[in-house]
Amino acid sequence: MVSRPQDESALVERARRGDEQAYEELVRAHQGIAFRTAYLLAGNASDAEEAAQDGFVKAYRALGRFRAGSPFRPWLLQIVANEARNRRRSTGRRAALALRAAAEESSGDAAPSPEGVQLAGEDRERLLAAVNSLRDEERLVIACRFFLELTEAETAAALDIRVGTVKSRTSRALEHLKEAYA
Amino acid sequence: MPELETALRQLGREVELPATPDIAAAIRPRLERPRSWRRPVLVAIAVALVAIGAALLVPPARTAILDWLGLRNVSVVRVPELPGARPLGRLDLGERVTPADARRRAPWLLVPDDKPDAFYVDDSVPGGRVTLLWGAASGPRLLLTETTGRAYIQKVVLGDTNVEPVDVGDAGVWFRGQHVVMFSDRNGVFHDTRSRLAASTLVWQLGGLTLRLEGDLTKEQSLRIARTVG
Repeated sequence: MVSRPQDESALVERARRGDEQAYEELVRAHQGIAFRTAYLLAGNASDAEEAAQDGFVKAYRALGRFRAGSPFRPWLLQIVANEARNRRRSTGRRAALALRAAAEESSGDAAPSPEGVQLAGEDRERLLAAVNSLRDEERLVIACRFFLELTEAETAAALDIRVGTVKSRTSRALEHLKEAYA
Repeated sequence: MPELETALRQLGREVELPATPDIAAAIRPRLERPRSWRRPVLVAIAVALVAIGAALLVPPARTAILDWLGLRNVSVVRVPELPGARPLGRLDLGERVTPADARRRAPWLLVPDDKPDAFYVDDSVPGGRVTLLWGAASGPRLLLTETTGRAYIQKVVLGDTNVEPVDVGDAGVWFRGQHVVMFSDRNGVFHDTRSRLAASTLVWQLGGLTLRLEGDLTKEQSLRIARTVG
């Protein structure tokens, strides 16, 4: 669970003064999204785990440079994503992994979405294929915005691009998906 | 379009992502901050005094100012003349290992964004010492050495060597120019047989780690690299 913002700034402040337990709480609150973001960028679980670990340690060391009162999550995601990108670059792998849908039986158990929509198996495969056929940069922006449900600012931080670029790239990617999926 | 966005969000819930590992527990040891500086400093002073008397054979009258620059595990001895010391040889760095092995043997290891060409581990230094090397082993471009709070480093510098506190990590010092570097053995003793000649070096402290970056770099270049480490 993500703490309420006022709790979070208090935790950041305590961590900045060297309170390791406060920082551990921050890590627990954000490790899920940090790891999933790293996974998208690094392309495999072990690099993602290392990237998330190193990112959290670097963020802790860099807390002195964190602007008090600003949101912690985009700042953190930027550091973790940078670690993940560096790992992928150093191994020369392609930019983003091809996403796979979870096995059919487990999706049946999944909680219904707030919108009350369940994708039929065939639609799901078709949409996933369309996402995977996007260029890397468009697939990443779609994955950040809709799969990880990052905000535009968080997506910009994670992908190291400007918010304006997130907006234009998202709408271009949606157009391409519409063509492929329609 | 909203329909497509809704479908994408739904798909996101069904995309297979690996379970998140327990990152908080894994990094706990790496967050440790120094709690008290007094005892390590006293130990280091004792160690350094032994070293000055026994290992370096610097005439006592002409020794020696010890500079304590806020680095808990590093002592600086100023001498009028550098003791004889070998240049860097491959053995100084220890055993060459894979990056994965280095991380396994030294879980506290920090690796900068720019990936090193080789990793070395030396278990004869207390707590272990890892050296990351860029360039060729025969003539490294850059060395980053990392040790824990159990290792002591001694820098033997000429009276006029520039030794300057810098702002990096918890505390940092820039050594401009050639000097001699020594790592203590398991008993905390420095041996001149294990000393070697070093180029300009940045030494800094990050939590429980001591890092030293050595190469043909300016102070600014060294600081820039150091800040990408952590």
